[in-house]
Amino acid sequence: MRLKVTALILALLLATAAPALAQKTPGVTDTEIAIGLTTPLSGVAAAWGNTAVAMEAWAEHVNAQSGIHGRQLKVTVKDDGYVPGRAVANLTEMKDSVLMNVGLLGSAVLNAAKDFSSENKFPVINPYGNPAIWARQPRERLRYVFVNYPDYVDEGEFLVTQAARLVGAKKVAVFYQNDDYGKGGLEGVRRGVKVLGGKVALAAEVPVEVTDRELGTHALKLKDSGADAVILYPTITHGVNVVKEMAKVGYRPKIFASFPLGDHLIMFRLLGKEWEGAHYNVLGAIAGEPDADRIIDLVTKIRPGLKGKENTALAGAAAMIIAVEGLKRAGRSLTRESLVEGMESIKNFTAEKLTAPITFGPNRRHGLNAVRLMRAESADSNKVAQVAGYQIFQPHF
Amino acid sequence: MDLVESYRQDLALARTPVTRALLAALLVALAMFPWVAAEHFVFLATLVALYSIGVMGQNILIGYTGQISFGQAGFLAIGAFAFGHLRIWGAPFLVALVAAGGVAALAGVVVGFPSLRLKGPYLAIATLGFGVAVYQIFVNWEVLSGGRSGLAITKLSPMFGLSGRRYEYYLYVLLLVGFTLATYNLISSYVGRAFAAIRDSDIAAEVNGVNLTRYKLLAFAISSFYTGVHGALYAQVLGHIEPQIFNIAEAITLFVAVIIGGVASVEGSILGAAFVLLVPKVFADFREMVPIVYGVTILIVLIFEPLGLYGRWLKARLYFQLWPFR
Repeated sequence: MRLKVTALILALLLATAAPALAQKTPGVTDTEIAIGLTTPLSGVAAAWGNTAVAMEAWAEHVNAQSGIHGRQLKVTVKDDGYVPGRAVANLTEMKDSVLMNVGLLGSAVLNAAKDFSSENKFPVINPYGNPAIWARQPRERLRYVFVNYPDYVDEGEFLVTQAARLVGAKKVAVFYQNDDYGKGGLEGVRRGVKVLGGKVALAAEVPVEVTDRELGTHALKLKDSGADAVILYPTITHGVNVVKEMAKVGYRPKIFASFPLGDHLIMFRLLGKEWEGAHYNVLGAIAGEPDADRIIDLVTKIRPGLKGKENTALAGAAAMIIAVEGLKRAGRSLTRESLVEGMESIKNFTAEKLTAPITFGPNRRHGLNAVRLMRAESADSNKVAQVAGYQIFQPHF
Repeated sequence: MDLVESYRQDLALARTPVTRALLAALLVALAMFPWVAAEHFVFLATLVALYSIGVMGQNILIGYTGQISFGQAGFLAIGAFAFGHLRIWGAPFLVALVAAGGVAALAGVVVGFPSLRLKGPYLAIATLGFGVAVYQIFVNWEVLSGGRSGLAITKLSPMFGLSGRRYEYYLYVLLLVGFTLATYNLISSYVGRAFAAIRDSDIAAEVNGVNLTRYKLLAFAISSFYTGVHGALYAQVLGHIEPQIFNIAEAITLFVAVIIGGVASVEGSILGAAFVLLVPKVFADFREMVPIVYGVTILIVLIFEPLGLYGRWLKARLYFQLWPFR
């Protein structure tokens, strides 16, 4: 009889404990919070993988400050080679063992993974890629996504307006990468030209393929257009090459460049004085500014390999700072739902003064849509100057 | 002893009871897999299944017919975008799949014409040009590629109470089984023999009555059909396609899979597909060292097993057949 009673009590205990066990939050223990990153550490976009290295460094820094609500951050980084299928495989592998992802990278990867977050109730914090991908999603599918990336179209419109305002450009040409990114910028420039109502003419639209290497003909087309300002929407490699080629043929228009060309240390290193006078956007604080240098010092001490990639490191550190803020606000009782609530409560947060104010909310997932216009001053001293403070566009979702 | 006494026995897929038992065990294992493996392994297995179909198609062209082609990324894109548009227009999955393969096969015939006059590296370059041209067409012709945002493809509605991942796995494995059987039959038929004859010596093949024009074009069409289906299945799995996905790297990956798996081998195609997908995944934690580890693994396999993974499989099989003797 006693045996039967004991068995009954045990069965009841198990029955009540089972749902609690089933509801255990993935990646969260009493002492640890697991964060899973998938990023291109190899392949064509490997340079951007340094964002993940900086995220690891910031997590280590947080751990050294006793973690978050008594828990240490454990970051796992997996290489996806910028291949969408591999990125989805990595996310699928990690979704039951980590709390969230930070810094998912690349528009093709985001497109392939856009349903993953809502289907698995899996938080994706600060993905890097065209925000239009998320803007096209129904609102209810964005519950677990928090984005701080500028819209290419808004930025393109801003650049052409600034070209007219700052240097009095009458004719502009666009040199753009023939993909989602470049075409977005082109669309924005077209929109800006329309808004300016005849003050500025769009003299040429010159596309470049990622695989192109020789850009002499592109430079000649730009020169033939007679544009007094050229707006750049390529990769760093193509941006540098086309500026060099334009100089070779004696064409020196005013340059206005999109934020992927915003690392002045790299641009000065590759172009020297040819980059002087160029206007370009950045997303936040940059190397050489006190707030940024403080963070750079921290992350490069932990990961010395980030030296020479300071601006990319800042982008990565900012992403992890935002995620950490969400974790702090979620409190000790950490679940994916409490993390979402924590992220939603973020208002006017500037990520250690690395970004413009970020605001999320129950109906807002595009926390920041902003750029900041800079001017390259001197290659010898790596000097740059801010032209306009943060230009904050309307959030799209 | 595996003594073959008739042509019928020679053509049989599984000749001995042991082989039949092993085959049955493999099928049972495949059926059980999604119930015992973690979800990401099921997803990887799904990817391996769809890649295997593409590699098999590539093997029909390269391995069995001897026509070196680097245009597979183009056929992948054609299959994927044809499938995407058809699905958006409301075509059922299987109809869209067959049509995607059909459109890619038509493109294969068009590309096949230069193959009548070109051989070896010259054909490789011509087909490479085709792949690049297709990429450019999709990038620049937004009506085809869906413009800046690409094409979003509706997910499959799972049936029989299965989860999405399991349903996709069973469907893709079933398709792989179908394509594997079709390939075995093809290579054992007159057509397959004609392909092999062309590979070994096209002049001798023609002298023996093989119509070179017909069979070279047929090889291109069949291979492209497989690749188009591969592209369509990949599009369905990802749920979204854009031209950048189908770049030259994809064509090289398929080529590597054929060589690593084993030229002119159906089993090798599956092993090759598994290799190119699983090796980078297994070594994903090696981070930036992944390409080096991947490259070194390819070197090691080719140095120690010039016949590819299929060669290793043959040796292992022979070992067990002769055991305990050596």
